[in-house]
Amino acid sequence: MVPIETSGLTKYYGDLCAVDHLDLSVGNEIFGLLGPNGSGKTTTVLMLTTLLEPTRGSARICGFDTRDEAQEVRRQLSYVPQEMAVDVKLTGRENVSLFAKLYGIAGRDDAVDRALGMMDLSERADDLVRTYSGGMRRRLELAQALVHEPKVLFLDEPTLGLDVASRRRIWDHIRTLRSRGMTIFVTTHYMDEADASCDRVAILDRGRVVAMDSPAALRARVGKDVISVRVTGSVRGPFPEGIEYLGGRGDGEAVFSTDCGSEKVPLLFRWLEERGVTVRSISVHEPTLDDIFLALVPTREDGYGFDDHKFRTMLRRR
Amino acid sequence: MKEIVYYFERDMLRWLRGRVSVVSALIAPAAWLIFVGLALPTTFSEHYIDFITPGILVMTMLGVSLQGGSLLVFDKILGFLNKFLALPSSRESILFGKILFITTRGLIQATVILVLAWALGASLFSLPVVLLSYGILALFGVLLSAFSTTIALYLSDHDSYAAFNAMVSMPLFFTSSALMPYSVMPPWLSAIAYWNPVSFAIDAIRSLQEGVIAWTRIGALALLVVAFCVRKFRRVTI
Repeated sequence: MVPIETSGLTKYYGDLCAVDHLDLSVGNEIFGLLGPNGSGKTTTVLMLTTLLEPTRGSARICGFDTRDEAQEVRRQLSYVPQEMAVDVKLTGRENVSLFAKLYGIAGRDDAVDRALGMMDLSERADDLVRTYSGGMRRRLELAQALVHEPKVLFLDEPTLGLDVASRRRIWDHIRTLRSRGMTIFVTTHYMDEADASCDRVAILDRGRVVAMDSPAALRARVGKDVISVRVTGSVRGPFPEGIEYLGGRGDGEAVFSTDCGSEKVPLLFRWLEERGVTVRSISVHEPTLDDIFLALVPTREDGYGFDDHKFRTMLRRR
Repeated sequence: MKEIVYYFERDMLRWLRGRVSVVSALIAPAAWLIFVGLALPTTFSEHYIDFITPGILVMTMLGVSLQGGSLLVFDKILGFLNKFLALPSSRESILFGKILFITTRGLIQATVILVLAWALGASLFSLPVVLLSYGILALFGVLLSAFSTTIALYLSDHDSYAAFNAMVSMPLFFTSSALMPYSVMPPWLSAIAYWNPVSFAIDAIRSLQEGVIAWTRIGALALLVVAFCVRKFRRVTI
């Protein structure tokens, strides 16, 4: 049984197309949905968790249709939304216990203890959540979601607003869950995290999937090396042969891909200087998902990155 | 069905642990009874406290029930509602949990008023009348908390909910039979007051004092509104 399957899943808000003909098939894996703000990630999750009705197309969770068999779908999944929704006036145990009761779990106390233990919260279980740190609250939400041992777990931006150590810990837990056979569908805009932990990712831009593969396969698409250059001045093509311009990021960074980075550095440097562009620093590294993202998703003013060229044009006009 | 109790427990625990809200809930209705019941100069009644007590009881239920809708607004803003809606348990149990909690909280406040009214010398309450009054207040609470919770489902932030509350609660109260009998109202007001659901509850309690059980109007309306709200909750999407 395929844990998550969608065909032509589409959602319109009025005239605005939030999700456009999404075809996904997610197996027993950690599947990452990546994309800039407003690309349709949350809308997708809301449709998959039966909270939103698709305009067109359909989705099935463990074989059950999200529209016609919503109740059965909800039995298969757990959903942790972006907002940290835990009751601060209740204890950790009371928070998890509420969900255990609402799911109607047999052997409730044991299940609650187990879920709290799995998230390393046993020691603080009887303290009010008010005293918990952000990372603990997130783990508490995971404990709530895990108490009924769902087949599919939906996490919307699970590491948003957490410090580095807490993020790493959340991902450790997510990987442990996968190794126990759970399917995890996660949205994030932290590329490095998706790169490290997801088995497969789909990159969403304006409601469309622009790429879907394992992070390694996606990285291989860009070429062997990435050269990132910090410049003053505007970078414009055509670029020298064997060097492809991926895009610009904030702080005057321009990113190029090539097959043999260190040999192309002098070439690129000369080429830029000849065009009156001052190079402040150059670095060569292996491609990351961030670079893929830059190459696949065109930068827009309101979107993720920062368009150096557009920014400078705008300044000149003033 | 059990889910209703679990949702109720959650709200109750949260309320009881916020001490300020409990103290305020007990003091506010008392203030109304004392300042309005004892201070207002009236000519139509020797014993205004007997007349005004049903009005203050219903007014308290009105305020509490309309205020109660903000519980769902916050559940919605903070992301709880999404989590609850994604659960396999029935969605209307969320609504019934809120109705049960809001109405119970209102009845606790009503008890404070009844005790105080008795201490201030209100004389018209026998045990059966008190019990039946609770029944009518509960019906009224169910009616309004179902209404306010369902409205909250469609409002996206607390400001608009507060605006809705202000727009509804004061006019409903002042165009009801709470403060004066129909006989001393101007004719246009008595026509409005007669069809005001707040008067349904007040009149029902007042007629209890005369030995008449008259809860057809309030009962029918409550049934209608709850049925409508359940339909809305079953179909809700974000």
